[in-house]
Amino acid sequence: MKEIDYVKLYAEKLKNDNSLFKQQKMLIESQLKASSSLFRNMFKGEDYKKKAREYLKGIGLL
Amino acid sequence: MGEGYTVDKNVIVINRELTDLDLFVKDFLEILKKYSDYLIVSGFVSISTGRTRGTEDVDILVPVMEKEKFAQFFAELQETGFWCYQGDNSDSIYGYVKDLISIRFARINEMYPNMEFIPIDASKKAKYFEFTHPQKMKVQDFEFKIPPIEFEILYKEIVLAGEKDIKDAKHLRTIFSEILKEEKFKEYEPIIRMELE
Repeated sequence: MKEIDYVKLYAEKLKNDNSLFKQQKMLIESQLKASSSLFRNMFKGEDYKKKAREYLKGIGLL
Repeated sequence: MGEGYTVDKNVIVINRELTDLDLFVKDFLEILKKYSDYLIVSGFVSISTGRTRGTEDVDILVPVMEKEKFAQFFAELQETGFWCYQGDNSDSIYGYVKDLISIRFARINEMYPNMEFIPIDASKKAKYFEFTHPQKMKVQDFEFKIPPIEFEILYKEIVLAGEKDIKDAKHLRTIFSEILKEEKFKEYEPIIRMELE
């Protein structure tokens, strides 16, 4: 089964089973927590905005 | 166990709890709505309807504001704990807005999630069309505006067309299969194709 078929299958199940949203909430929130922790560690002890902008320039987002 | 969504008086109601991502968007919108209309587009539409993938930014279309109004909006965001990637001075940031260049806002001491604030005007025909034809969506007490679902699907399939976008479109086509209207796909497709010209 291809990944896109899983997307379809999951959406079909979700139509009638909103308990699946609980897993999705966990996924979203764990990703946000991991990202927050990563950047806090990267910019620890520094001016967060200044370091963040330097980082963003470095990856071409600014 | 219950239905994933219901439709109540033309509002699509998603039957789930709010996530931290929703709360971030809700806080931003509570400020923005005092100054401007808006439309949330792209990944957040799919994710808020159950697509299981991560995201770092939430795209929001906002018509170009007058400079003074933008300054007030920008100041209120700063007072309420947001920062702008592009800078801290509203005068210089307004240059991006009037040139229709996106700017991004996140919470202080955070990089993600961020709101990608996409300024638009009537020259952006497809974006302006979706902006003027909003669909309401609701999760708990959080109500927000998105494009018509058929428009969002076609935009992802025709304009964005990356792997992630095709999967998002498949998700939307599947979960909303009972309420999608073929005549709307036909109406929207030529409008969306103008974006490619």
